[in-house]
Amino acid sequence: MSVFFEQYFDFHVMGEHFWEVLEAFLQNLLIWVAALILVLIWGLILAFLRQLPGKGFAPIRFLTIAYIDVFRAIPCLVVILLISGGVPFLTFLPKGVRIPEWFGKPDPFWYGVASLLLVFGAYMAEVYRAGIEAVPKGQMEAARSLGMSHTQAMRHIILPQAVTKVPAPMLNESISLLKETTLVSFIAFGESVLVSREILAERLNSSALILTAFFFLVIILPLARLVDYLIKRNQTKVTRGTHIEVA
Amino acid sequence: MAEPILQLRNVHKRFGKLEVLKGVDLDVNKGEVICILGPSGSGKSTLLRCVNLLAPPEEGEIFLEGQDICKGPGSGTGESSWNLDFVRQRVGMVFQQFNLFPHKTALENVTLAPMKVLGKSRAEAEEKGRALLERVGLGDRLGQYPETLSGGQQQRVAIARALAMEPHVMLFDEVTSALDPELVKEVLDTMRELAEEGMTMLVVTHEIGFAREVGDQVVFMDGGVVVEQGDPAAVLDNPREERTQRFLGLVLER
Repeated sequence: MSVFFEQYFDFHVMGEHFWEVLEAFLQNLLIWVAALILVLIWGLILAFLRQLPGKGFAPIRFLTIAYIDVFRAIPCLVVILLISGGVPFLTFLPKGVRIPEWFGKPDPFWYGVASLLLVFGAYMAEVYRAGIEAVPKGQMEAARSLGMSHTQAMRHIILPQAVTKVPAPMLNESISLLKETTLVSFIAFGESVLVSREILAERLNSSALILTAFFFLVIILPLARLVDYLIKRNQTKVTRGTHIEVA
Repeated sequence: MAEPILQLRNVHKRFGKLEVLKGVDLDVNKGEVICILGPSGSGKSTLLRCVNLLAPPEEGEIFLEGQDICKGPGSGTGESSWNLDFVRQRVGMVFQQFNLFPHKTALENVTLAPMKVLGKSRAEAEEKGRALLERVGLGDRLGQYPETLSGGQQQRVAIARALAMEPHVMLFDEVTSALDPELVKEVLDTMRELAEEGMTMLVVTHEIGFAREVGDQVVFMDGGVVVEQGDPAAVLDNPREERTQRFLGLVLER
């Protein structure tokens, strides 16, 4: 058994590499925050486009649905490899886009953010959609009968209610997004998994990876509890027959 | 004397294969209260939805203040067309399920559309909103959210919200059907006052008493057509058509 513990829980290895792994994990958090902010916005835009009414918007609806379906079906890693391995060679793009080094972050960081944005934007669009569809139909009718345009009704009436109906699935997607940031290790960005693997190769010891897992646990476990709490709160609200109040 | 404000000519409405309105004609004069009765599924609510284009008719004509709202410039695209703005600024609607915005206070429910659609300033919209809520007897509930109000109070906020757009015609779609019996009166009283002030109203209702007392005309619909129409006393007390007699018999039995 001691062999097992030495392989996975060597506190000597953990201690020696603690700050190195933590620093790398902070890179995961940075990718996460950057991607999450953009995902929340992009998902909302996609959900809005998908709900546009009338025959005139049918092509936009079709394209949006196609986008959402395609990016939910492709493995995230494939998207990362397609972006990082292809975009630098698209010479019609300006150099700042082909090889982005914004805010002092190297290009793999941004390829990672872009790929996660493309994929999780599609997931988040479905979350918003569920929220939009959970808003009673009469809300849109009331808004339209008062003279509001479809866009005004979405912005002032439907979307503010929709987001309060889906905090739990939204958090779940956010948790997945955080875990998927480790895929950026495939394109040589120094985040926690890449750094831990280097340590594994050097020391033939898995404790740094366990340390990485531990850092994810520390962030995600409270979030998972929060999801449970939100679901429970939502259920009691529903059984009392009232809405979640936003304001 | 009678000045026509709304005229329906041979209005048809289909949902897929189901034809809900099979050629409805109706004339409404300014200041009139028309009460529409009929069994469920007769097309009463759909008729109201046609008038404010929530469910535009496939066939026929609807003239509002002389304009054919089904064929206004830019119609046919379905959205953001001229006739939609024209209609929604002139026609207010109150729904069976109130449809108040739950994330807005009573006052915000009333002021939102005037600010966003008519471009009124907040101060202007709130002054008007306060006055309207005062008028429906809710001057002390401005800051409350809909879920803290009773059904009757919510419906009165909904009436104030529609009035804030200064409509020329008001549509009422079974506005007391979802209310507890003791709350019906306060809503009907509000509507009665509105009628006395000269508002043109189309009222889909099962309240025979209200139709008799407040209505200028009673329209009985069944199977997507107007079966009988006329003076409330005539239609309610001496219906000519057998279908009207049967329906009134069932309703009045209660």
